[in-house]
Amino acid sequence: MALPALSPVRQPGRLVAPTLVQAVRALAHDAGRGFTFIRADGGERFCSFQTIFEEATRRAAHLSARGVSKGDRVALVIPEPDEFVLTFLGAIFAGAVPVPMYPQLSFKNVDTYHDTVAHITSASGAKLLVTTEATRPYVEPVLPRTPSVEALLTIDALTGPAPQAPVVEVSEHDVCFLQFTSGSTSRPKGVVVTHGNLSHNSEAFMIHGLGKDSSIDKGVSWLPLFHDMGLIGFVIGPLFTDIPVVFLPTASFVRSPRIWLDTIHKHRGTITYAPNFAYALVAKRLKDKDLSGLDLSCMRVTGCGAEPIQARTLRDFADKLAPAGFDPKSFLPSYGMAEATLATTFVQHGSGFVTDVVDAGSLTRGEALSSSLEKNASGDSSELAQELVGCGAGFPGHDVAIVDEQGNRLGERQVGQITTTGPSICQGYYNEPELSEAAFRRREDGRTWLFTGDLGYFAGGQLYICGRLKDIIIIRGRNFYPSDIEWVVSELPGVRRGNVVAFGVTVDAAGRHVEDGTGEEQLVVCAEAFQSEAAGITEQIQQAVAAQIGLSVYRVEIVPQGALPRTSSGKPQRRKTRQMFLDGTLPRPRSAAAGEPEAT
Amino acid sequence: MALSRAELLSMFHKTAAEIAEKEFKSITEATVISELGIDSLGMLEIVGAMERELKVQIPDESLAGIQTVKDLLELVEKRQALG
Repeated sequence: MALPALSPVRQPGRLVAPTLVQAVRALAHDAGRGFTFIRADGGERFCSFQTIFEEATRRAAHLSARGVSKGDRVALVIPEPDEFVLTFLGAIFAGAVPVPMYPQLSFKNVDTYHDTVAHITSASGAKLLVTTEATRPYVEPVLPRTPSVEALLTIDALTGPAPQAPVVEVSEHDVCFLQFTSGSTSRPKGVVVTHGNLSHNSEAFMIHGLGKDSSIDKGVSWLPLFHDMGLIGFVIGPLFTDIPVVFLPTASFVRSPRIWLDTIHKHRGTITYAPNFAYALVAKRLKDKDLSGLDLSCMRVTGCGAEPIQARTLRDFADKLAPAGFDPKSFLPSYGMAEATLATTFVQHGSGFVTDVVDAGSLTRGEALSSSLEKNASGDSSELAQELVGCGAGFPGHDVAIVDEQGNRLGERQVGQITTTGPSICQGYYNEPELSEAAFRRREDGRTWLFTGDLGYFAGGQLYICGRLKDIIIIRGRNFYPSDIEWVVSELPGVRRGNVVAFGVTVDAAGRHVEDGTGEEQLVVCAEAFQSEAAGITEQIQQAVAAQIGLSVYRVEIVPQGALPRTSSGKPQRRKTRQMFLDGTLPRPRSAAAGEPEAT
Repeated sequence: MALSRAELLSMFHKTAAEIAEKEFKSITEATVISELGIDSLGMLEIVGAMERELKVQIPDESLAGIQTVKDLLELVEKRQALG
């Protein structure tokens, strides 16, 4: 296939191409390196960068021939990672704006799934919905609710001989795709990501952050591709910076966490990334005998992000894998979010992780005062120590600032809202002007700052994250972070991680729930458990929260397994749970679910 | 050698207890897995452990419809028969 002449790829001062299309085009000559997709059965499909370019071009031509023009949104529900990547790039090559959605292969909770697909498809105004034969039955029923969609296609329609189609030019100012956020606290919103955002953020995390070396580096990832960490971290960033990647199915990792490590070993992977829970899963599930023959000394970057990072989890992981040559200095904690494309702060690569042990009481007063773990042993609740993991610093060309409620910059160890600005900041939420204005604010310095809603502080050049601003529970002038309370509760036997939600409600003197600012805020904890165990667990929760947080729980609500409302990524939705509590619509626990036989 | 249904049930019981880190007094084929406090992640973990032990592979697509222990055991049995 004749390649088009390479366009000038880099702008002055830039280290990567200005658009994803130019980045992929610049790799089009490379038939030897590329992406390896491992299937659930262990089979592999290798797509060289050349193949990726050719397939994206082919699928773009098919889309153009079907009337897709520049700026049209194309919704994608494609479970196979290889087909997803090629179709996603095909849409971008056609100048269209892909909208990735998570696939579902089950009729379980199918109504909720249809609601989400219908919401995202309509909110994006997608003209086409592209899926696979296997997934078609799960998305087809939403079509009557999505008037913008002119046709539903399966990928077979895009893989035949390419029709004639004009080459569509895109610039760094063009929208590349819409990233619908998982929305822990509300319905999904589409973050508008431009080519320029992706170019700048890829340069930031791959070059300034990871110090990538295309001659040795190789990524290994099982992260889902419909979320930013998998899609931008392991597809887009590596394409901008010429890094081969090996992809594993997400489900294969969960079934057998060692497949992640086996793949790193076999492919000599140097860069991997995962949320905290994955490191915990490996530390817990891996048997010592699983380690025999594993050499993980190749792991140069072991990134951690997307949810609060626990120092203990990282230590357990490092201890477990030490016999395989794992280097704890490869840990790279980080902080970021879809609204800032992906990455906002990174720890210096190769330096390992650092922690800050602070007095939890001081955090609630807006200041992170150093503490020592020894004090905790004394059991004095005013000096409870909390160990936080540093998430590093911002990237060149960007700025990260902690601000108070009036927007004034705060100093070292002062807790406030994390804000950030720079070329990675996205263009807002698609068709949501009010939400966009609230989060993306033009300030007196003439720059647009993203107000993240996360709370944190800087100490010693490291950003530490304390929790979410909006979900914060303020009791008698002290701020409590629900994630801390949930963590304490989920450590109890009989309660699984992710099956707990903590929030505040205001209660007036008569014990009524009020939302008008009068009354006093109180803590409610909802946990999933059996009715038969409810009494015992309720008491344990009250004791644990009192002992470790120094707070008495106003109400413990035990609900049946699976009853807490969740996002597409499985995180419980605090605000929705709170609303259900206030409305009295939280389900009651079933009795005798499994422990005892049913009385007949 | 293929295990009997009773053996598979006992393997499920043992594996579920390991993964969920708690004792289950009784699990029957009619037990709904989510009611054991096992979410979709936990279920995948159990499936993975049983796959390893029995040296079988259960395709992702067929996992989707599983609700009860019986649903899962029937799938495993089918894969065992395929050898």
